[in-house]
Parts: sequence; C-alpha cells; structure tokens
Amino acid sequence: MTRFIAPLFLVVFALVPLGLKDPYLLNALIITGILTICAMSLNLLLGFTGQLSLGHVAFFGIGAYVSALTALGFDVSLPFGLRITHEGGSPLLGFVLAVGLTGLCGYLIGRLSFRVRGAYFVIVTISFAEVVRLVALNWVELTQGPLALTAIPNMVLPVPGLGDVALRSKMQNYYLVLAVAAVSYLIIARLVASRFGRAMRGLKENESLALSLGINATRTLTVAATISAAMAGAAGSLYAHYIRIIDPDVFLFSYTVTMVIMVVSGGKGTLAGPLVGGILFGLLPVALRPVMAPEAQWIVYGAILIAILFLMPRGIVPALESLALRRRPATETKSAAKPAEAGANP
Amino acid sequence: MMISRRTTLAALAFSLLAGTAMAADTIKIGVNEPLTGAFAASGTYVVNGAKIAADEINAKGGVLGKKIELVIEDNKSNPTEAASVAEKLITSDKVPVLMGSWGSSLTLATMPKLEEYQVPMLVETSSSGKITTSGNPFIFRISPPSSVEADAFEPIAKKLGLKKVDFLVINNDWGRGAAADFSKMLKANGVEVGLTETMDQSAQDMSAQLSKLKASDADTIMVTSAVDQLTLLFKQMAALGLKKRVITTGGSQNPDQIIAQAGAAADNTMHLTTFLPWWPEKTPNPEATAYFLGEWKKRGFEFAGATESFRGYDGIRSVAAAIAAGGGTDPASIQKGFWKVDIVGLNGPIKFAKSGPTGKESGQSKPNVYLIEITDGKVKQVQLGG
Amino acid sequence: MDQLLQHILNALVLGGTYALLGIGLTLIFGIMNVVNFTHGALYTFGGYAMYLAAVALGLNFFVALPVALVAGLLLGAFIEFTLLRPLRRSDIDTTMLVMIGAGIIMQSGTLWIFGGVAKAVPTPFPAQPLVIGPVSLSYVNLFVLAAAIALIAITYFTINGTRLGRAMRATFQDHDTAALMGVNVSLIYTATFAIGSALAAAAGALLGPVYVVTPQMGELAAVKAFAIVILGGLGSISGATIGGFILAFAEELGAGYISSGYRDAMGFLIIIAVLLVKPTGLFARAERIG
Repeated sequence: MTRFIAPLFLVVFALVPLGLKDPYLLNALIITGILTICAMSLNLLLGFTGQLSLGHVAFFGIGAYVSALTALGFDVSLPFGLRITHEGGSPLLGFVLAVGLTGLCGYLIGRLSFRVRGAYFVIVTISFAEVVRLVALNWVELTQGPLALTAIPNMVLPVPGLGDVALRSKMQNYYLVLAVAAVSYLIIARLVASRFGRAMRGLKENESLALSLGINATRTLTVAATISAAMAGAAGSLYAHYIRIIDPDVFLFSYTVTMVIMVVSGGKGTLAGPLVGGILFGLLPVALRPVMAPEAQWIVYGAILIAILFLMPRGIVPALESLALRRRPATETKSAAKPAEAGANP
Repeated sequence: MMISRRTTLAALAFSLLAGTAMAADTIKIGVNEPLTGAFAASGTYVVNGAKIAADEINAKGGVLGKKIELVIEDNKSNPTEAASVAEKLITSDKVPVLMGSWGSSLTLATMPKLEEYQVPMLVETSSSGKITTSGNPFIFRISPPSSVEADAFEPIAKKLGLKKVDFLVINNDWGRGAAADFSKMLKANGVEVGLTETMDQSAQDMSAQLSKLKASDADTIMVTSAVDQLTLLFKQMAALGLKKRVITTGGSQNPDQIIAQAGAAADNTMHLTTFLPWWPEKTPNPEATAYFLGEWKKRGFEFAGATESFRGYDGIRSVAAAIAAGGGTDPASIQKGFWKVDIVGLNGPIKFAKSGPTGKESGQSKPNVYLIEITDGKVKQVQLGG
Repeated sequence: MDQLLQHILNALVLGGTYALLGIGLTLIFGIMNVVNFTHGALYTFGGYAMYLAAVALGLNFFVALPVALVAGLLLGAFIEFTLLRPLRRSDIDTTMLVMIGAGIIMQSGTLWIFGGVAKAVPTPFPAQPLVIGPVSLSYVNLFVLAAAIALIAITYFTINGTRLGRAMRATFQDHDTAALMGVNVSLIYTATFAIGSALAAAAGALLGPVYVVTPQMGELAAVKAFAIVILGGLGSISGATIGGFILAFAEELGAGYISSGYRDAMGFLIIIAVLLVKPTGLFARAERIG
C-alpha cells in the first residue's frame, strides 16, 4: 500500500505546476518541499537509528550560510594575522560546498556525540545548534550577523546547449526542489534497504545484540549522521538561493520543531512518513490562513498535531499500513513485517 | 480635463491587469505585519493605526473616488513567512501596493518579491540601512534609518556636552546599526566611545552587562531596544545603583508604558523619539494628531501604543497620497505617485528623497527627531532651540 | 574587584531562579521520561496567573503567589490527565510532540486572550536597592532568591522525606516493580507532572513581577531550563540546583569579561565541553532522584 506513496507523490507533484498557476501556492509548495527534505534527513537519524537530533536546523542554517557566502564572497580576518578573502563564485559551487561542509559537521558531531546516546545526543545537538546560531549572530565580519546577507543570487545550473541558466522563476525552483527531494529519497531508500540499513535498525532495536553480531555502532551512526546533515545542508542551500536573504533567524528552533512534527506525525522510520507529514504540516498553515484569526491558526495547528498523535500514535503511514494489513492480510503481510522497508523500491 | 484623462488612462491600465478590473470598486492595500510571535504587540499596534487611517480616508470619500481596503496578513515574526505573505498579497489578493513588515529582517525578506512582481511597498518601521541602499526602487520608507537619527542627534550631543559614551544595544540589525551610526557621529564630534555591549532580543536579565557598564568611566549610556526590554533595563539599573545619563534611541520607547511599568526607575532617562503624542498642539500636524489620538482613545486602545501605531497611520496615509498622486491603481502608477507624495505626517513632512544606487533609488522620508526626558513620572520635551 | 563582586552577587540571585526553573523539568523527565515542552508555557501561565490574581483581582502580593502556584498545580494535573495518561504506552518522541502541540496552543491562547503587550505586576518592595559597600541588590531579587531556595528545599523534602516521595523514587527506578509493589503509578505520574508544573508556574509568578509578563516570556526560560537540566544530569534535583548556579555564573562572568554577544552561548559551550570530557554528564545520572 504505502510503497506506492513516494512514486505517486513524485508523479502528482511533477504535474502540479502544469495545472497550478498561482505563484503563492507554488511558493508554499517550494518552502514545504525544502522543509520536507530536512524532515527526510532527520528521519534517517530519528526514525532509522532512533537518535533524536533536536539541533537539525544547525545543518540547514550552515548549508544556507555556506552556499550564500560562496556565491556572495567574503573577506574575513582570523587570529594570528590570517586573512581569508573570497571573491564570490557560482551558486552551484555553493551548493556543493554546502553539502560537503555540512556533511563534515555531521561527521564531527556524530563522532563526538555518539559516545553518548539517547538523551545526551539530544542535548549535544541542541547545544550545537544554539552555539552555531550565536556564532552566526555575533561573527559580523563573516556573516554580517543580524544585518543579514542580502541579494543572494538565484541558483545557476549549467544546461547543455544553453550554458548557465539562472533559476529565477518559481517553476524552475519548484522542479529543482522536487529533483533534490527525489534524489534524497532515493539515497535514503537505497541506504535503508542495504546491509548498512539493517545495521542501523539492529542498533535501534537491540544495541547489545547488534554489537555482538559485529556491527560497529559508532561508525554506523556516524555515517548516518553525515548523510543526514549533508541533506539538510542541501536543503539550506536551496533555501538561501530561493529566498535570497538569510539572517541568523534561519537557525530558529521552530524550524527544528517543524521538522520533528513532520517526521513523527507522518511516521518515523518509514520512508513515506516524512513526505506525508511534510506535505500535511507544510500546507496546513496555508490552508488555515484565510479561514481564521492568526492566533487561532496556531491553536488549530497544535490541536491537529495532538489529534493525529492520539488517533495514530506511531504516525499516519504506520496507521495506514496496519489498516491495509487488516483488510488484506494475505498479500501485505510481507511489507508489514518489515515496515521500515515499506516503499523501499519505488 | 486633465483629471478625467488621467482617470481614463488609469482605467485602461487597470483593465489590462487581468482579474483586477472586475473587482475594482475598492483599492486594496496589503498590510504585512507580525501579529503572532516575538513582535506581535508592535505589529498589532501598527495595524490598529493603519485601520484608523483607512477609516478616516474612506469617511472622506476614499481615493480616486474609490474606497480603500486593507488586506491584513500575519507574517508570524518570521522572515520566510514575511516573503510568503508578500507573495500571497500580491498574487492572490492582487494588491497594487503594500505596507510592511515591521522588523528589518522581515522587510529585507519581502524585498526580492517586490522586484519580482514590480509592486511598491511603504516601509513604516524597519531601520536597517540596507533597505534603502541596496537598489530596490520599490521601497519607500517613512521610518528613519539610524544614520538619519544619528544626524538629528548631532546638535543635541553637542548641547548635552557628552564626554564618553558606552552603548547597550539589542543584538539585531536595529541595535547594531544604531551603535555603528551613533559611534561614527560621536567620534566625528570628538566624543569618546567606550564599550558596546549587546543583549539578546528576548533577554530579560541584563545585570551582567549593566554591572560592566557601571564599572566603566563613561558618563552616558546610549541604549537601543524596544519598550519591554527598556522597562527591564531601567528597573535593573535602579537595582544596581547605576546612575549615569541614559539616552535611548530608535523611537520604539512608548514612554508612558515605561513610566507605568518601571515607575521611579525611569526618572531622568532621555529618549530620542519621532512623535510627541503628549502635546498634539506641538506636533507638525496638530489637527491630524488630535484626530488620530481621539480615534485611538475611542477604540479603547492603550495610550502608550500611540508612539508605535502612528507609523501605521502615517504609512497608510502616505500610501493613499501616493495612489492619489500617481492617478492610477496599478503598481506602476503608485510607484510613480510615491515620488510626488508631499503631506504632513504626525511627525513631520513626508516626502521621499532618493537613496541608493543611481537609476534604482529607493525613497526615504526624513522625519523629525525629538528628545524627551522623564522627570517625576512625567514626560517633558528637552528644548534644543536657540 | 568591585565589578567582580557585583557579578558574583548577580550570579547568585540569577542562579536561584535558574535552579527553580530547572527542577520542575528534571523531575518530570526523570520520573515520567517525558520531555516537557509545555514547561515554558507553564512558566508564562504562572506569570499571567500572578497578574490576574494581583492586578485584576487585587489580591495581596503574598497571597497571589500561592494562588498562582496552585493554579499551576491544577493545570499540570489537568494536562497529565487529558494528554499524557492516554499515551502512557507511547514512546518518548510521541509524548514530546504532544507536549509541543500543547505548548503551541497555550502560548497562542495567551496571546489571544491577553494580547502581546507586556503586563507589569507591582511588588510591595521598595524600589531603592540594598547597598552593601560597593555592591547593590534589590529587595525583590533578595525575596525571589529566598523564595526559590524555600521551594527547592520543600521539593527536596517532599521527595526524600514523605510517603509520596518514596513512591516517586520507586517509580523513577522501575515503574513496573513499583506497580507490583502496590504503588499507584498513575497517581504518581499525575502528582509528578502537577508538582513540576507548579514549580514552573511558581518561577513565572516570582519572576513576572521582577521582569514583565508577556506571551513569549516562557520561550527563553524553557531554553535555559533545558540547559540547566542537561548540566545537572537528567532527573536529579540537586544536579539541577547546581546546574542552575553553574549556568548563572558562566553567563554572568562570560558576559562581564568575555563578550555579551556570547552570553547565552556560555552554558551550551560548557555542556559540549563536559560531554566531550566526561560523556556521562557533569553529574552521572543519579541512581535515585534527590
């Protein structure tokens, strides 16, 4: 049942701009898509390894800043008389560097913090995000601090036959986000279905058993953290070149909260969960906006979140799976026995 | 004759804008303000001021023979939302002009959208210099950037005989910008500049920063922050026995709220402000000030909010003047109209001067700046003439 | 030197309020394994309860304080009963998210009811500070410090010296065994959440008059509370108390002598440093709370 969700989403959302011309809704879908990429990457850690990162926004924000600064250029002096001057370059290089550097950050954080587990991992990630936000706020020479980085160029892609094309229109950005989301999904799906994925799940379900079977826990978790961070960094880069202004508000804790809401309400540890949760909670504010007062919108948002978790404590996708299982026990048993792999092969 | 031709042209331009021509009995003005989140109180004040202006204009027959209609949206104090809201107002609600977005980061986030859709926006509160210097010809600002405020403060600084000044500013574009611009001006006038301390915008305990300032040898502390944090600062200064000259900048002080909440701790503090609601007769436009304050009271709002909300009132009046001067209800005419605006706002003439790179200038109006002092729980103006 | 003395005094006062913020959160986490994202909203609730009792109802300041505390106790019991009890069997992420939802509702509801403009609560203390040599301290801060220490002591005694406390400690160690031994675990959970909420509300009621009361006041308080709990070790009251003072000293001296811009980073830098050196936390997870 749910294994068809992702390909279905891809087809539906690839067709959406053909019928939908409203730029506001397209804009909402682009932002939702970017946050959904973050949610998918968070799910890799939270859902498949069981480690909750409450500082995931740090990778998103670092990705945004790295990409923007690569494109805009900077001139910064460091201690010991060092000075780095960068002229400004292509946004695509920014995207690549954003992915690389956030991956490196994820690797380092993973190496350092996977010596501790559970609650302490949560704590290290929160602390890391808060420190990074304060650095972005106070290192004015590099980040311009609260004065914001403005006039960030749009993403530029080399297109065969056309040369470099700047993605200025909504439609172009929409398909870029959709493509990055699809690639991220495929990477996670392949990873989860691989031997590595079994190692992750083994660690989540029974760490001592997994260790006795020869799984290297720190290495497995670190690889997951690296990939997860790099994807969030990619999303940050997309965000910076789409919104075209960033300031330390990209590190707002509320973005992390939104990502966690998307993952857990959709169903953590399922491939389709973050997609369903992402679309739902990305578009819910858009749907509520015209209907009621601003404060009431937030109240309804919170109430819907609680209602979903009361009705489906494990999230929407697992609930749909067990519903399907009850209806057609014979054919679906296999995928339900391995819920984590549901939808692994689109 | 002239007028009728203009209206015909406007009508023609209007009918070219698909979808808008049919619903053209009102002129929509998009209002993009923070109504929830960290800046909810200020955004709500500005919106209340905007509503008073809209009702007043409509009661007098509207603009170009049409009523104006405010389309108010909440940007949740979040830059991403501010950009989305601008997009919604322009493309879904088809507003030809916007007012917004209170904070500088919120305004900066909406600016690419203005360029994308070629729609002008009146900026009522934001102070970041970047807003009018980055070459966005759709920006028209009535609030002073801190450099304008610093220039206005120059004669006052001389008169007060400042020797050495420390800064305590909110750690955002507003506070940092103020510290930079005032330092520059003071240094140019031979005043020594000492420490520059920052405080997080949500911080409630500033005793560490204040203890450090207490130990410094400066005679004056210049403070930039919003009213809630100022209230706390004055209370904590009193608790620490910090007795130096304090001058606040930024025009978001609401002195009455400070007096009500900080009590005696607010005595002998000085405030640079852009509006004098205490003496309507002394303001540049006494009639409008009296009307605005009367309406403010009639609607049951707290008097203290008037120093924030008057910008919403002036903002909508400026937009209406731009629509009238441009002679059309399409974005391009309104953008042209802004350059012809010449009205007397509640804090001085509103008239846009060119600012930023040639060919893509933004408009910046230069409001009056006043210095007031709180003495024995009363606000009094510090006379600077002569 | 004078400046240093003043910083130390400030840190002592601030540390008391931080400790009060931390113990409610650590209690709930330790016993119920719930990451309480309503902690900040309950702190805000305490501030508004104080405002309503002292300003709207015109109660005496010292009467209004316990009123706000009891209001927090009741609200906490209500939240536990309606939102957490049905999800007892769910995992920690689910309950955390439900608490996030409840926190969003409470904060937005406060904004809707009271508006965003800050409310002040007058105190009966003189505005003039108490001056001791080179340092000074306001009377209201002194009172808050004393009240915080008293509340922490009462909580400590409740957990270590009463039947309820013994049941709470048993539940903390192993709730299944505790249930087998005849402890009413459901009741313990409700009591724990109510006490934790009452402490958050008390902190809000005490600090509301010192600062001002706004719908956002809980946000920063919650961040601090998390840092304190982390510093002190999860589930430990004495750890949270010490964590509160460590955080206060780090912030105060960090802002005074390093950089005020990084003031709020100090606590987190200590946390990262501690976890790198000693991954089990500054104070190894207590075998028993208290």
